[in-house]
Amino acid sequence: MLQNFAQWLSDTAPSRFIQDILWIIPAVQTVHILAIAVVLSSVAMIELRLFGLVGRSTPVARTADRFLPWLWWGTLVLAITGAILITGEPGRALTNPAFQLKMALLSVAIFVTFAFHRSVRRRSALWSEPARSLGVLRAAALATLLLWFSIAVAGRWIAYAVVSYGPGV
Amino acid sequence: MGDPQVSLQRVFHWLESWPISAGVRESPWMFPAIESVHVIAITLVVGSILIVDLRVLGLTSRNERVTEIAGSILPWTWGVFCVAVVSGFTLFAAKAHTYFDNINFQTKMVLMAAAFINMLVFHLIPFRSVGTWDIGRPAPWLAKLTCAVSLTLWILIVAMGRWIGFSIEG
Repeated sequence: MLQNFAQWLSDTAPSRFIQDILWIIPAVQTVHILAIAVVLSSVAMIELRLFGLVGRSTPVARTADRFLPWLWWGTLVLAITGAILITGEPGRALTNPAFQLKMALLSVAIFVTFAFHRSVRRRSALWSEPARSLGVLRAAALATLLLWFSIAVAGRWIAYAVVSYGPGV
Repeated sequence: MGDPQVSLQRVFHWLESWPISAGVRESPWMFPAIESVHVIAITLVVGSILIVDLRVLGLTSRNERVTEIAGSILPWTWGVFCVAVVSGFTLFAAKAHTYFDNINFQTKMVLMAAAFINMLVFHLIPFRSVGTWDIGRPAPWLAKLTCAVSLTLWILIVAMGRWIGFSIEG
């Protein structure tokens, strides 16, 4: 079924347009990677703050408030650019095990990040008292960072899990 | 001493003869694995530089000190930059000739050199007087200019890196 859908999608006008203009895919991939830079760095900054490795004088909630919007907007850009890439090369993505794993990891990452966001919102004590019982938040942030790393790796592996495309792209 | 072109070719041959280079060329997973590390490291380098650049440009966190942000983030930037260089060099060594002749690779290296010089200008000229614009005042024009150039260069470096993959045959 997925294969049929990929086949149908690759015959649509938008897909053909992307296929015909060779620079669209690398250009969109570049924007995709820049959005990954924003997302990974935002997660890393919250992570480093939770472990007291940067900006100890700033309350945890302020660091989270500063970077969580970047994380969500970055994720939105990733979704849009990702959708363009799938449209342009449906056969490369949809039926690809690396892509499917990436989507599974992504849904977990979004869920964990959402739970983390809510938890920071509710624990208003984090605004006034720096570094107090941060265990759960630290674990959640660490899990999120590792998840996003895995998502990036699975994303890169899409290029290698498709036999017909060969390595290097 | 001889012809520098010949010496360079010898160095490339030597790099390509390393066991790890052969491994990267022949193993089905080594290239993508090292490439993944390289991409993650570069995204962290670019993202962390973005935080500092946007602050100096006055677009984010104006209520925080430039020195505080730069001082806490840039050591991490250097750490992940080292990871990016080592992983990138490992990929380069596997096919040194091919990469060296690739226009996108060459452009990427030139852009990296430009980013390095740009960083030196930032640190040696406007950053010296950071005490006067650390917080509450806009950064001087040269500080803003070098940060805008830094942003542009890093975006282009990512683009060139991606284009290498499209212009080199497996």
